[in-house]
Amino acid sequence: MDALILARIQFGLTAFFHFLYPPLTIGLGALLVITEGIYVYSKNEDYLKITRFFVKIFAINFVVGVATGIVLEFQFGTNWAQYSAFVGTIFGSPLAIEGLFAFFMESIFVGVMLFGWNRLSPKAHWVSTILTAFGSALSGVWIIVANSWMQTPAGYKIVNGKPIMTNFLHVVFNPYFPAEFTHTIMGAWEYGAFFMAGVASWFLIKNNKDMVMRKALKVAIIAGIFISVVQIILGDVSAKEVVKYQPTKLAMMEAQWHTQKDAPEVLFTIPDEAQQKNYFAVKVPYLLSMLATGNPYSKVMGLDGAIKYIAHKDHITNLKPSMFPVDAVYTTFHIMMYIGFYLAGIMLIAIILYWKDRLYDNKFFLKVLWYSTFLPLLALEMGWCTTEIGRQPFTVYGLLETQNSVSKNVTVPDLIISITMFVTIYLILLSFALFLFKRELKGRLEGKDETNTKPKEA
Amino acid sequence: MSFQFLQILWFILIAVIILGWATMDGFDYGVGSLLAFIAKDDREKRIVINSIGPVWDGNQVWLILGGGAIFAAFPQVYASVFSGFYLAMMLVVWLIIFRAVSFEFRSRVEDESWKKRWEIVITVTGLGIGLLLGVALANLLRGIPLNKEHVDFESLFGLLNIFAIAGGLVSLSMFLMHGSAYLVMKTEGELQKRARNYGTKFAYAYIIFTIIFLLISPIFAPRLLNNSLGILGDILPAIMLIGAIGVILAMKSNSDTRPFMFSVLSIVGTIASAAVGLFPDIVPSTIKSSYSLTPFNSSSNELTLVVMLIATLIGLPLVILYSIYAYKKFGLKVKLDEDSY
Ligand code: HDD
Ligand code: HEM
Ligand code: HEM
Repeated sequence: MDALILARIQFGLTAFFHFLYPPLTIGLGALLVITEGIYVYSKNEDYLKITRFFVKIFAINFVVGVATGIVLEFQFGTNWAQYSAFVGTIFGSPLAIEGLFAFFMESIFVGVMLFGWNRLSPKAHWVSTILTAFGSALSGVWIIVANSWMQTPAGYKIVNGKPIMTNFLHVVFNPYFPAEFTHTIMGAWEYGAFFMAGVASWFLIKNNKDMVMRKALKVAIIAGIFISVVQIILGDVSAKEVVKYQPTKLAMMEAQWHTQKDAPEVLFTIPDEAQQKNYFAVKVPYLLSMLATGNPYSKVMGLDGAIKYIAHKDHITNLKPSMFPVDAVYTTFHIMMYIGFYLAGIMLIAIILYWKDRLYDNKFFLKVLWYSTFLPLLALEMGWCTTEIGRQPFTVYGLLETQNSVSKNVTVPDLIISITMFVTIYLILLSFALFLFKRELKGRLEGKDETNTKPKEA
Repeated sequence: MSFQFLQILWFILIAVIILGWATMDGFDYGVGSLLAFIAKDDREKRIVINSIGPVWDGNQVWLILGGGAIFAAFPQVYASVFSGFYLAMMLVVWLIIFRAVSFEFRSRVEDESWKKRWEIVITVTGLGIGLLLGVALANLLRGIPLNKEHVDFESLFGLLNIFAIAGGLVSLSMFLMHGSAYLVMKTEGELQKRARNYGTKFAYAYIIFTIIFLLISPIFAPRLLNNSLGILGDILPAIMLIGAIGVILAMKSNSDTRPFMFSVLSIVGTIASAAVGLFPDIVPSTIKSSYSLTPFNSSSNELTLVVMLIATLIGLPLVILYSIYAYKKFGLKVKLDEDSY
């Protein structure tokens, strides 16, 4: 194991753990804006109860998200010093702006939202919920500006071998930003909807006369059906961007070793990186060409063609097929995709059952919903792994290779110590968070009230 | 605006952000460190914790902003210092992780030993971070072995020298003083009396450690003797001491807010002294002075600095506005209710 591999493992691990939490902040935050809004305008106490119950879970999730996020902010400098020195003049600004505009808003108003129930009028409280949710989505904007710039760098020129910013707006609105941002935020909302639906279902399995949770389930599936369908469309948009800008990633996502016409979609396979072959491949003819370009007979670049293309376009000629982690990218991408279709299917069934008034007492289906609670999170993580591992062997696509990004002075023992500590700490945090989450569920079941008090009337 | 002016301005702005962190998050750490000593029963502990409960997370963003701003304005500094201090940085990060979850986790389970454990976490993380800030600043003032490519290969133990430990004690006593002063402002009765008492003691400790630090600095960091502001720079450490004396006197008066004001003054003095002491370097190299990182050889290009300046001019007033709103809503004295930690 060399320091490079370990640094990559460490970054992937810490990013993976961080991203277990923010999507719920963003997604549940958005749903709480809806439920509290319904309460503010209809004065229906049930919606206040929904909001207050889910805010308790929101708070647990939020602090773990904050704790794990700070690590990442510093890790560019600690683990990727060469990278930071190389692109910091461009990549640093979205991170600073994220702190200034998003984290302050989010973190100040989350305090007001959590502790201000008795100090604010219902409307003013709702405003702080809105600002918390808005702030969290805004932090998504800026972090994805930074990430999408790594995927499709723009708005820069090379001076003395280093990129420097020439146009801030081109940096922000780099080609991949719109697709990446919408797909990620929609994914977080999808998770929020499934989370509320799953938790509500759990309560309805125990007691289907629970009128509060019936309403929560209703809100969640109505939001969920729109979100989960749109998410598939946005996924397709993202894929088309990959076709346009990152041919090596597309080849990895689809396990296409060789450039070919009439390319089939490989629904299932075990890619073999050494032999550059696919085993047990199940294919749908013409589908990949169709999806990539809209024309079923068109040519799709395989890994070999994509490597030649980069050699020609970016003058990087040392790339070999063995540098591309096809296995991981193919697998993570397909898991995400299948989960995406499954989730949309589930929401469709939920809506039909609701329509026929058979949702709340269908124990089997409620169980399905409960078991699906965390599937969107899995899709989110798999999607990020596709994006990030698929970018290999580059850190900044076509501009900087990963092997030239790592800190020179961080040693193997340093990394082993830190990885071990991170794994230990994060597993402790995760198990505590799950433990407290379960306690909140049980507590409500045992009759602990969601609303200790009502917000003060204006 | 000339490029050079922008580079100096960004040096100052970063010092201001670090000052923002030390004053705002500084009392969070101070209050946390005091928790195990100052509060006698569960109600008092809750008062202490809830004095920072609704605001600590917002305060912590100053630290994140500091990281981001150094990254954007002086990428080479961000890269060299953070990778050079690798294990020390990791230690800070682990402390911050536990601190961040501790308040929330503690309040969730009604169980003596569960709460006790998280109180220890709150205290230990507070003490640790208070100490490490000074260790880091003193090491910068002393300089680190940056080579020609601005890479530092020193090990963790290189950071633990007498000078750095003296610096750590300065910052630790400063945060403890600041936390006590904050509690004087936020509490009443017995608890407040104890806070006054502790505040006075830590102010004395701060004065003593600061004087020791100043006395040994000619040996370890001679650069402090001929700082770039000349006589004006020599006055800055005096502000540290004036602030602390002010804290001691104000603790004796019956004012609730004045100790805090003076404590802020001594933090201003501390951070300003460090910044002026470093300038015109940001990270002095102990190998060769031409290897040092300065605002002029480590900054981003002009456009980035301008963009960031515009962002700051828009963003910072907003931050101040939100902060005022939040602090107003929670009032001066802590009041516990069902939503408190
Ligand atoms: C709930 C979450 C979720 C779901 C159901 C899906 N995705 Fe996704 N996907 C993400 C969450 C996500 C993500 C985590 O948010 C990613 C990572 C970065 C990004 O832009 O979005 C992502 C990335 C991502 C990429 C980009 C890879 C890259 O940028 O390099 C593609 C092509 C797709 N997705 C395609 C799809 C398709 C065709 C889906 C069809 C069903 C789908 N995703 C469902
Ligand atoms: C939160 C979701 C994310 C996850 C799960 C994730 C995952 C990963 C993984 C698995 C790697 C290692 C790839 C490899 O070496 O094969 C990686 C590398 C990296 N990621 Fe991410 N990432 C996420 C978000 C981000 C964002 C938002 C940024 C930028 C702002 C980013 C920047 C980087 C950098 C700089 C590296 C190291 C260089 C490299 O290996 O290419 N990541 N990430
Ligand atoms: C790898 C790059 C990333 C870095 C450097 C990073 C940095 C941070 C930091 C420093 C915090 C703590 C903020 C606070 O104290 O309030 C945080 C929390 C958060 N991050 Fe990240 N983050 C990364 C990836 C992401 C991604 C990909 C998203 C969303 C799309 C995201 C969304 C959030 C949100 C919403 C929070 C608020 C806390 C929470 O929700 O748990 N982050 N992040």
